[in-house]
Amino acid sequence: MSFFGFNTTLPRDRAPPGDQRGIFDAPDPFAEVARAQAAGLQADDDDVIDFEDTYDGLGDQLDEDQDEFNDDTFGGGGDTGGVGRDFDFFGKTAQVADVIGEEQIRYGLQKPQGSVIPPAAETAATLAAVEAAAAQKPKRSGYEKYEDPGYIPDLQAKSSVWSAHKKTEPSFQAPSLAKKMMSLEEVEAQMRQHPTAPPPGLSQPPVSLPQPMPDLSHFQQPLQPPLPEGFPHLPPEFVQAQLAKGIPPSQLLPPPPMVPEHFPMPGHAPNIPLHLLQNAHLPPQAMTPPQRQAMPPRAQRPYPQQQPQQQQQPQQQPQPPVIPQGPRAQANQMPMVTNPQQLMHLNEEQRIAYLMEDARRAKRNHKIFLLSKGNGLMTPQDKNFITRIQLQQLVAAAGNVADFDSEAVLSEDFYYQVYSQIRGAPRQHPHQPLGHFAQTYLLQTGNRLGGHGSRRHGNSADNHMQRMQQQVQRAVEAAKQKPKNKQLIIEGSLGKISFGNAKAPKPMLNIKRPDSSEGAKTTKKAHADLSLSDRKSILANIEGVYSALMELEDMERTMPPPPDENDPEAIQQHMEWRQKVRALNQKLWQKLKVMEPIVPNTNHPHPFIAFLSCPKGKKAIPRIFRQIDQEQRVTILTMIVVNLDTLDVVRRAQLMPGETQLSLAVREAIELFSQAVMPSLLGYVNEAPFNIIIGLLGLVIAQTHVEMVAKTRIGLGILTMLLSRAEIVKEAGQATERDWQQWVEKFNVLFDTLEPIFPDLFPHSINAGDDMYVWQFLAAVGIGASPEQQQRLVIAVKDRVMETVTYSKTLPADMASQRLGNVNLFMRAIGLDVELLG
Amino acid sequence: MLFFSFFKTLTNQTVTIELKNDIRIRGTLKSVDQYLNIKLDDVDVLDLDKYPHLSSVKNMFIRGSVVRYVVLPRSEVDVGLLEDATRREAANQAGKAR
Amino acid sequence: MERLSINDPPAGGQHGIAPPGLSQQQQQQQNHSLGPMAQTQGPPQLPPQMFTTAAQLLDLTDKKLVLVLRDGRKLIGVLRSWDQFANLVLQDTVERLYAGNLYADIPRGIFLVRGENVLLLGEIDLDREDELPTTVQRASFQEVFELKQKEEERRKGNDKKRHGKLRGLGFEAEHSGEILF
Repeated sequence: MSFFGFNTTLPRDRAPPGDQRGIFDAPDPFAEVARAQAAGLQADDDDVIDFEDTYDGLGDQLDEDQDEFNDDTFGGGGDTGGVGRDFDFFGKTAQVADVIGEEQIRYGLQKPQGSVIPPAAETAATLAAVEAAAAQKPKRSGYEKYEDPGYIPDLQAKSSVWSAHKKTEPSFQAPSLAKKMMSLEEVEAQMRQHPTAPPPGLSQPPVSLPQPMPDLSHFQQPLQPPLPEGFPHLPPEFVQAQLAKGIPPSQLLPPPPMVPEHFPMPGHAPNIPLHLLQNAHLPPQAMTPPQRQAMPPRAQRPYPQQQPQQQQQPQQQPQPPVIPQGPRAQANQMPMVTNPQQLMHLNEEQRIAYLMEDARRAKRNHKIFLLSKGNGLMTPQDKNFITRIQLQQLVAAAGNVADFDSEAVLSEDFYYQVYSQIRGAPRQHPHQPLGHFAQTYLLQTGNRLGGHGSRRHGNSADNHMQRMQQQVQRAVEAAKQKPKNKQLIIEGSLGKISFGNAKAPKPMLNIKRPDSSEGAKTTKKAHADLSLSDRKSILANIEGVYSALMELEDMERTMPPPPDENDPEAIQQHMEWRQKVRALNQKLWQKLKVMEPIVPNTNHPHPFIAFLSCPKGKKAIPRIFRQIDQEQRVTILTMIVVNLDTLDVVRRAQLMPGETQLSLAVREAIELFSQAVMPSLLGYVNEAPFNIIIGLLGLVIAQTHVEMVAKTRIGLGILTMLLSRAEIVKEAGQATERDWQQWVEKFNVLFDTLEPIFPDLFPHSINAGDDMYVWQFLAAVGIGASPEQQQRLVIAVKDRVMETVTYSKTLPADMASQRLGNVNLFMRAIGLDVELLG
Repeated sequence: MLFFSFFKTLTNQTVTIELKNDIRIRGTLKSVDQYLNIKLDDVDVLDLDKYPHLSSVKNMFIRGSVVRYVVLPRSEVDVGLLEDATRREAANQAGKAR
Repeated sequence: MERLSINDPPAGGQHGIAPPGLSQQQQQQQNHSLGPMAQTQGPPQLPPQMFTTAAQLLDLTDKKLVLVLRDGRKLIGVLRSWDQFANLVLQDTVERLYAGNLYADIPRGIFLVRGENVLLLGEIDLDREDELPTTVQRASFQEVFELKQKEEERRKGNDKKRHGKLRGLGFEAEHSGEILF
């Protein structure tokens, strides 16, 4: 391919001759134009659209003088006979832009290339210039996006481009683009090609830095810059011109860039008089820097509809004197300077700033140009191919090569799939069975808990829980922390050092553990009541529960459709499914170990209570309650009530003498218990029959240390739950006389037990404000109490009532009303009101 | 695939990545791949003075194998879900090993 | 109903097919409580193509980059090609040597780098690339090279000591067997 003595490694030649159009690259119709012209320059093929049809006549308005430099521009001689004014650019382009026959056309065009071109030296030189310009013109600089000042790199934006497993990528846009482009740019390019009568202004060689010079003399040397000779040589005239504008040379002449730069600046270009283009009647947009002045005005004319396309697709014209990015981008980024007058009006400082900015931009554009020479080595097809390889690997890793089915996606990409749903993204494949999971985890997630309350009482009950949360948080923040002394526990052997692999990574720590188990024990004082093995087995139990739970949740997804009475197969299927669910339910129940016998007088808590002492166990309760029946629920509730004083949130929630606040860990545990466990329990209690409520209260009194239970938030919460439910049952008239008598008996015992400590139920001094749940409990007691009991109740807590009323007067209005509201909840329960206290 | 799945949910979040050679880079996580290679946008190199070669870098591709830590925004992690995802992964692995 | 979507009613719903023992009331509660959540909508999930090496390298193609290798070399060049392992081809590459507050450039040409040796790949902001930090200055190759060698020796000595101490404390060197800068 070295017909013309060129460096044959020009980018055009290196780029594979294959289809350039793929999903990664905007179609580039001008690649074909260039080749078509190089090859068929002589051919008069004007069958599509005539030049006159598309010519807007703008060229005729230009001054037809200032031709002195035409020869410099177009290689002297004036003998460019091959290129006539009547060459049909548009026709050519439209022809080659026909995407269907693209491959064949290109092949056809390239092959006869050598034979079509006449060997005459001069013509060859002209053609060589044309070719070189075309070849040198980058298809894509790769930096197009940066021409857009608002550009934010965003992979997402491209995702649409990717979405193709379809093969329909090829350049569907090409024809229309080609036509649009042709109507303006190409026609003028044709004008410029005319060697004899170039319109002034248009004929000027572009001096703008990033331009490849389509100047013949320069193309005689190889343009592919070899490694640097060092500093780029700016023509002295250019520098002077800049200096005249007040730009310090240091800014004009950048420090040598990392990659060798090569300014293809024609030595004579700066000879253009600076006023030359200022006289042109097409207003240049921003005048002062010579490179801008020298810009053919047509490049500065607005082409609104063309602009975006050009940024995407630098053209491959035979003589493309202007890289589209250059002037337009500049005009874009400096909107305040749109004509020379404006620049004049700027003060010196602004002007220098503007000029420097301009020089900087020109410099960058030049860099982009230099970098872009090797662009396209990797074709869109290559990129696409690699992407597909990777996608295939991903599918293969998911274990199911045959089809990218939803089960495989779920198992391998569970977190992402469910997470994006929970955080509110509709799925890409709407038929994936994920909604179920999203719901599961939505239920589990923090403040979305709840919703299990009864229709009658549920909302206020939930709100009451949530309001309690807020109260606690406020207290937590107000009070200073008193961290307990905790020591790091190193669990498990970390093993010996070895070179690892992906399956068994090399351990980075090699800590020798004390030989005796004694030594290990001393390090974990913080969990003194649980041996290491206990803790391990508890955690293992929890995992067992979770795996059964997850199996059950999976079953929900595969529930067969409701059986048709007449379809024995469907009925059979359904029966089997129910069978499996039942088996899994039993498995879950066993793993929960609720039914294990209660061993009295042991320091090992019941396995289910131990389960509940872990955050993971607490968090599982709402999910478990969804999967079990009423009987299992009441069993769990009973188990909790019986062991109330061994529950971690009760046992560890006792303030030691001298302590004013529970440790952070305990407070967190209480918080989690109220968020995760209480709503489920409340949900059950609010539906429970009266005899169960009576039985539960009896258990609290008989089996637990009531004073201890009552001094904790969770304990009081459960008592409040029972008392208020009893009241509702009674009000609703659902309680038999006998049941009610039984209830009153139990209630009296409770009242008598707690009476001495009513004032002590309040955990903190009055200003801590964390006493709402106590008022709620007192209110629940007050409702059920006899008038005589109410009297005693008032006597027991009247100091706190008065204190709170007095204290709230010192508070801001909203806080005061909140505090008084809490008190009033109790006062109203016994038929009083804080208003009455004056 | 758990970590891959996990990091995918952090797209467009600001993370700080510490490499095994102690360089720390903060930026917007744009993408992650199956090798846990990470693409960061708008990077900000901490202690830039020590790493002049990164002074003009705006976007970065970081090889997954050289990452030591990734510091994540806590609010963007669903711990409960992650726990279950981990259980599933463990079950998968056990199933494959068998 | 076979595959529940997020818009389907939750299991245990209207058809009386419930986990065993669920009371009618409970079922209604569940429906009630889950119903509103079933409407969740938001930004679309991203396509799997986004999460490939190819997608990550796509935007860096034909850009001027700084490539840092695991042996500490810094190469500056134009990324021309790559594959799914992040094997890379760089053109017009210059190796930049740093030592102390000096640096030197050595023209290298074309590089084909095996992916495993890559530490990171950074796109250079063309507007900022010439504004080197004032802390470093250009110097001759010879000068920088000699300084670098001295630094290396010192560093190796220090590393050895450090690793020895760390091992005493039970820490294995993070990149023992390979050097990572």
